[in-house]
Amino acid sequence: MTLSGEFLAFMSLALVAVIGGVLLLNLTKVVHMVVALVFTFVSIAGIYVLLSAEFLAAVQILIYSGAITIIMLFGIMLTRHNDTSEPKTGRWRKLLLFLGVLGFAFAVYIGIYNLDLPAAPNDLHVNNTEQIGIELYSKFIIPFEVTSVLLLVALIGSIVLAKKDDEKEAEKE
Amino acid sequence: MVEELLYSEAGLLNFGIFFLLATVLLLVVLGFVTYAILAERKVMGFMQLRHGPNQVGGRWGLLQTVADVLKLLLKEDTIPKLADRPLFILAPVIAFAPAFMVLATIPFTDKLQFADIGVGLLYYIAISGLTTVGIVTGAWASNNKYALLGGMRAAAQMISYEIPLVMSVLGIILLTGSLNLNEIVEAQKNGWFIIWQPIAFTVFLIASTAELNRVPFDLPEAESELVAGFHVEYSGFRWAFFMLAEYVYFFAMASLTTVLFLGGWLPLPFLDFIPGAVWFALKFTAVIFILVWFRVTFPRLRADQLMEFGWKVLLPVALANIFLTALLKEWLNIF
Repeated sequence: MTLSGEFLAFMSLALVAVIGGVLLLNLTKVVHMVVALVFTFVSIAGIYVLLSAEFLAAVQILIYSGAITIIMLFGIMLTRHNDTSEPKTGRWRKLLLFLGVLGFAFAVYIGIYNLDLPAAPNDLHVNNTEQIGIELYSKFIIPFEVTSVLLLVALIGSIVLAKKDDEKEAEKE
Repeated sequence: MVEELLYSEAGLLNFGIFFLLATVLLLVVLGFVTYAILAERKVMGFMQLRHGPNQVGGRWGLLQTVADVLKLLLKEDTIPKLADRPLFILAPVIAFAPAFMVLATIPFTDKLQFADIGVGLLYYIAISGLTTVGIVTGAWASNNKYALLGGMRAAAQMISYEIPLVMSVLGIILLTGSLNLNEIVEAQKNGWFIIWQPIAFTVFLIASTAELNRVPFDLPEAESELVAGFHVEYSGFRWAFFMLAEYVYFFAMASLTTVLFLGGWLPLPFLDFIPGAVWFALKFTAVIFILVWFRVTFPRLRADQLMEFGWKVLLPVALANIFLTALLKEWLNIF
């Protein structure tokens, strides 16, 4: 492994992503966790850019860091926003967890160590937005349409749920 | 010049050059912000039959903003005792960094651009959404009810107006067939998109004013209702950062409007002996003036009117515009 600019960029992005993930698990205040999550999302988008999947990177930031995070913040602030989670684990559980983590790391190491991915030449990175669009509307048109129907159902469902609450409150009054 | 640099080999030297260029851009933007604030105050003054700043720096008050910034730097930096300290410090940074990142993709002329990204337009919209996170965290970290209310309003407003903003731009993407800002400008050689897409331009202008949190959509910092909204508890340099982010977005959004609808650096017919940079500057100034004009002319909307207007008027109009554009494109193909 040579020390190239790409390697440096990948290492720093990966480091931020992993640190964000660890902070997400270890911080006690909920809002801090969401901010840590934003850093993870953004650095994952950076890794997409390194893989020259720029469309995916932009969408990742637009949807995850922008929309979903804001919705989570909204949810947290409008409910019990001073909630903190207390760590309550016994010593045995910690030990078992540690063993489990070690086992998982070992399994992944064995799986990855001799993994040989044949580097097939592809031009997926050229005009990838256009390629995604063409694939989406030719090969994957049915899953795409089914997804849109699913989203529509969710939208109508949320409206129905919100309406019900209104009616209940009106009855109470 | 920059064009060659963008395609050159990566290395320490080029890193240095880009770092230097970015610093120069930052200084240019800071200069712009300084004089945009002054220009805004002057124009507002004239429109309200006042003089505006006219004491510091000669008859035109040319040093007024400089003095204001110096005052901000010397101010005591207060952090409320019950504030969430790390988030309080982090929030202005999260709010400002995307504002400057966004500028990288905007083509000022055909030769001066800092990053030629294939999905430039999407990049702008995606990155600018990150500022909302900064504003909401700042509002929450202040531990103040006015700040929290302002932050909530900011988040709701920015999310609801981002949708018509994107939808209005879709018409342009349909006509160009690209998300790249350079290609969008090139596609306007046969007429700027303000002529081909007048509905989209109207929707975009309204939605961008809302995204910028400017009057008539300045609910997140409505002085008369929320004291100052999300930055009540901020003072000194941290407050300056929020203000700076706002004005850098002002700069970026005016540039984006110029690029998308007014043909960027393209000249008017028969006037192409004037360089592209001058054309860009002229159009850019016109957009800035219109946004300032809005601020002086319109009264502030109510929060429920704001949401209703965004979802029930702007979004359907933008959707209808996409439909019309698709029809227009097919119709053009037939002939």
